[in-house]
Amino acid sequence: MMSGEMSMHMGSRTQTKAGPHPRAMSPRWVGWCVAAVVMAAPSLTRAQDSRAEAIAAEQAAKAARLAPRTPGGLERLVLWVERELVEAPNGFHPLFSSVYSGGGLTGGLGYRHYLGDRAHLDARGSYSIKSYRLVEVSATSRGVADGRVDVQGRAGWLEATEVPFHGLGLDSSRDASTFAMTHTYGGATLAVRPRPWAWLGGALNFEQYSIGAGRRTPSTRTVFTNQTAPGLDAEPAFVHATASAALDSRPARGYARRGGLYEARYHHYAGLDDASTFGRLDGEVVQHLPVLRESWVLSVHGLAQTTVDPDARVPFYLLPSLGSGDTLRGYSPWRFRDRHALLMSAEFRWTPNRNAVDMAVFYDAGTVAARRGDLSLNRLKRNIGVGIRFHGLGVTPLRAELARGSEGLRLVFAGNAAF
Amino acid sequence: MATPMQGLARGRRVAAVAVVAAAVAVAAATPNGATPRFFADDPLAREPETQDASTVEPWSIDLFVDLTANLFGHPGDPTPNVRARDVNTVDEVPDSSWFTNRIGAGVVPLEAIVRGPVTGAGPAPGPWTVVRPKTTGFSPGFTMRDTQGETWFVSFDSPGFPEAATGAVMAANKIFWTLGYFQVENHLALITRDRIQIGEGATIRLGSDRRRPMRAGDIDDILRRSHRNADGTYRAVAGRILPGRVLGGFRYHGTRPDDPNDIVDHEHRRVLRALKVFGAWTNLVDMKAGNTLDTLVTVDGRSRVRHYLQDVGSTFGTGALGPREYDEGYEFLYEGGPLLARLFTLGLALPRWATIDYVDQPLIGRFEGARFDPARWRPRVPTAAFLRARPDDDFWAARRVAAFSDDAIRALVKTAGYSVPAAEQLLADVLIQRRDAIARTFLPAVNPVVAVAMAADGTVTFDNAAVAAGVAPAPAGYSVRWAAFDNATDVATPIAAPVVGAALRVTPPATLPTDPGAYVQVSIAATGGPRPWAVPVQAWFRRTGGAWRLVGFERLP
Repeated sequence: MMSGEMSMHMGSRTQTKAGPHPRAMSPRWVGWCVAAVVMAAPSLTRAQDSRAEAIAAEQAAKAARLAPRTPGGLERLVLWVERELVEAPNGFHPLFSSVYSGGGLTGGLGYRHYLGDRAHLDARGSYSIKSYRLVEVSATSRGVADGRVDVQGRAGWLEATEVPFHGLGLDSSRDASTFAMTHTYGGATLAVRPRPWAWLGGALNFEQYSIGAGRRTPSTRTVFTNQTAPGLDAEPAFVHATASAALDSRPARGYARRGGLYEARYHHYAGLDDASTFGRLDGEVVQHLPVLRESWVLSVHGLAQTTVDPDARVPFYLLPSLGSGDTLRGYSPWRFRDRHALLMSAEFRWTPNRNAVDMAVFYDAGTVAARRGDLSLNRLKRNIGVGIRFHGLGVTPLRAELARGSEGLRLVFAGNAAF
Repeated sequence: MATPMQGLARGRRVAAVAVVAAAVAVAAATPNGATPRFFADDPLAREPETQDASTVEPWSIDLFVDLTANLFGHPGDPTPNVRARDVNTVDEVPDSSWFTNRIGAGVVPLEAIVRGPVTGAGPAPGPWTVVRPKTTGFSPGFTMRDTQGETWFVSFDSPGFPEAATGAVMAANKIFWTLGYFQVENHLALITRDRIQIGEGATIRLGSDRRRPMRAGDIDDILRRSHRNADGTYRAVAGRILPGRVLGGFRYHGTRPDDPNDIVDHEHRRVLRALKVFGAWTNLVDMKAGNTLDTLVTVDGRSRVRHYLQDVGSTFGTGALGPREYDEGYEFLYEGGPLLARLFTLGLALPRWATIDYVDQPLIGRFEGARFDPARWRPRVPTAAFLRARPDDDFWAARRVAAFSDDAIRALVKTAGYSVPAAEQLLADVLIQRRDAIARTFLPAVNPVVAVAMAADGTVTFDNAAVAAGVAPAPAGYSVRWAAFDNATDVATPIAAPVVGAALRVTPPATLPTDPGAYVQVSIAATGGPRPWAVPVQAWFRRTGGAWRLVGFERLP
């Protein structure tokens, strides 16, 4: 239908917009003339004697210009996102997950191939703006045994080129040295869910580490020694076994406004060759307390990490640590390392939009110590902050937070829930 | 200096102006040059569908695309305040492939309301043969063939919520059929695992690019997500396959480009705008293309597209997986104003849904009528039709809701098959409360003069729908104006001074024309009533066979 033409619907007199296939007009002034004539004298072009005839004429006009619907640019983009990121088909797929904490913005490419219903092979490579690199292959099967068991085997290699090290302890220097670390690993993990709210997990991995000079000066090797940075000169290898048990009543791990997590994990690092053997016990508690139909949520998080054998020599890069967007958010990644660590966080969250946006003000406090008995609530590093989270039903694809600790302001961007 | 090309262009412009001027002059001199306001066949009782639609191709409207477009895209005609275009000249919706006039247009017997779209018995006794799993929505289910070869779409209740989803589907199905929409024929059924088998060639979709034959474990997976009764049965809703070829859903804006009969933008269809009111009544929050379905049917030897509200189960207080979220029915999934208000006040800009009380009845979920505000009701996603509903559309819909008697509501709620009498009572009570709230809200919001008629002697009678429904006091009076109406030029010429009085019956002026074919325009406004009532409704009558026939009515321009 031409723009400006009168439309005769069931009874209303209305102007209709241009149809998708306007009649070709050339030259333009001829079109203006025709349009003007049509506007001025509808009786010249339409001689229907009844409403039904008038409507029939409109339908006949449309019948002459039928066309299949073609999606627009935005629709094609949404369909692509849905197909590639949500439905996860066979083939290449983009990656945005971090290589290693502190690596910065990361991108990558993976190739996925399904084997049966729930199992798939994946080969992936990632690269961050700090030149952190990761190459990994994995075989994963989720939800076997009536949805109760997840199994994964994987092997990979990563290189982190400027991992910060400030020294050990809570009083370590604010100035960081950096080291480069390569990590080669391979092994398998098993997670069993005997009840919807209970998890049992186990993992067995071979891991090898190599430490070199960081890209940014000063290098850890020039500032620290093997005494002040245990394992600095070694290239240890371990058989790393993990066992865990958890009660998890949260609706989803990636985003929750109610429920809680109570988890214990034990790590056993069996040193190969000259490497020490040591263990670490982690205890973690998360509890969300919704107020007034989740208009607000009080969320608390506690994490304790303790090296079990007091005499074992633990490489400094495998020690418990605090700092980063998941622990002490007002401090840089890996800011505090030592044999024992304690973290406590509390958030007051409110929900501007229940389906997509959360806000939070938070308080984190934590400490590290060489001896378990030295973990003291009187010696805490603290920060406060405010954050916004963009989330879905069970995922938090973007979290942006501004935190202030004793070392200044930090802006945190993360692709996961704070806890 | 003008170039030769410029001279030529100027010459063409002069010629064009001359042609236009000549055309206008010819048109002005032509008798009956304007399109008449009313044709001889007005008002239409059925929307014409004159073209063969057999070339319409199936399509798929992606959920995320539909959701994104409606939440953020402002689709549809941007012109504000457009009068509905699927109404006939007396402001009513004719029957069509979208709608069939039932309640509100006449008396619908109770037994018809209870029967709804049902044309026969439910699935035949014997095993069900699954031909494919359910691919849309959250409720567990599958498509199956019964022993008579009839195909049915089956959905179950979620674990822990027996009868909730299936009951809602059954009752809502009857409501929307009675309101006039094309509905699936649904039946309640009980099934045990041993009566379900997998059909030859049945496959299951594993992803966008993967599919494999169905296995027994797939049925077990579906039933594991379904509520199992103590006796081992599963309660299901079985929906009979729709007649015709399935074409996919329809959008709430624009038209289907390959359907030649679809010439009214969907956002301007009153039957879709009215879902604002019908949705508020029933809490039909999941208003999306995915819950609609077009099929290609043959009527009178010609292919037509028929439009179904296929899934109206997202109603009342329960969703497919349990009770509704608290904010459903109160806010769109994304709504900038409330978001910003809560963001900057630490959540202290408390939404209404945070303090609504509900009766603890798991079969019904979160559905209440005491604090229900129909004008502020929201579906999850705003459709273009929802956003463009005008007060006259709301009024039209509210009259139909108000036409449901208490008995009708209780009878159709009984079809939900709840085993708990208190649940049935609660749902009916809330629907009655919400019906009354809708009448209170939307009937007085425009001039509620209805049933305007003119007797052979010219006496005009009318009624006031809001007053008749008991939701507004009578106004001080009514002002009635008479005019002779020229159908060819659309010009009304007053023939008498306005008549003001409290009566709903007005005698005609002596100057009333009585020639055969004469038209009269009558304008009726209320005086001393709510402000919207001062806007007159317009009624047009044509003198035919010694009587006056209503040929036009307009509540709002």
